[in-house]
Amino acid sequence: MWCTSNPAQRLYVARMMWAALFCIVFSSAAVLGIRHGHVTGFASYVLAVLPAVPVAWTLVITGAYLSAEKDEFQRNLYIQAILCGVAATLAVVTAWGYMEDFGRAPRLGLTWVYPMFWIFVAVAKPLVGRRYR
Amino acid sequence: MKNRLRVLRAEREWSQGDLAKRLEVSRQSVNAIETGKFDPSLPLAFKLARLFGMRIEEIFSEEE
Repeated sequence: MWCTSNPAQRLYVARMMWAALFCIVFSSAAVLGIRHGHVTGFASYVLAVLPAVPVAWTLVITGAYLSAEKDEFQRNLYIQAILCGVAATLAVVTAWGYMEDFGRAPRLGLTWVYPMFWIFVAVAKPLVGRRYR
Repeated sequence: MKNRLRVLRAEREWSQGDLAKRLEVSRQSVNAIETGKFDPSLPLAFKLARLFGMRIEEIFSEEE
């Protein structure tokens, strides 16, 4: 994502890796358990909600990183990248939603919104950085 | 904001990396400040001033 040159960035990347791992594990458990009918009733609701926990956790981790980052320029770059990610995700999801409504696009599962956001953030970060070279 | 960072750094024969290390920021931050594309906060401006033994207004000036 970037060169991890300071402790705050290293801690952030490590925490995000753990969150991503939990996200993959919980998502796989939800897909396998619910889609294949191994888990039913109340437990299936719990299992379906479980992947949202690491998702929410990554936002907490990101907030903690922004508080811990002492390099104000890097903090500024990352905030801009996050705003670009939010804007691009909202624009794409809104446009896709209308296309779906008018039968011009296939259904997009809401579970794709979160990874889409981080993909946009990852793309935006170097682009935002180029403005300052 | 205009600044004299590049000159002050050159006088001391410091690279951008050297200055970044002294300020505890990234080299990109120093470059962005030097080129006037990023204005530092007041605490960072004070840190720079202390490092060069000058007043803030001797390093930074308003663009006309």
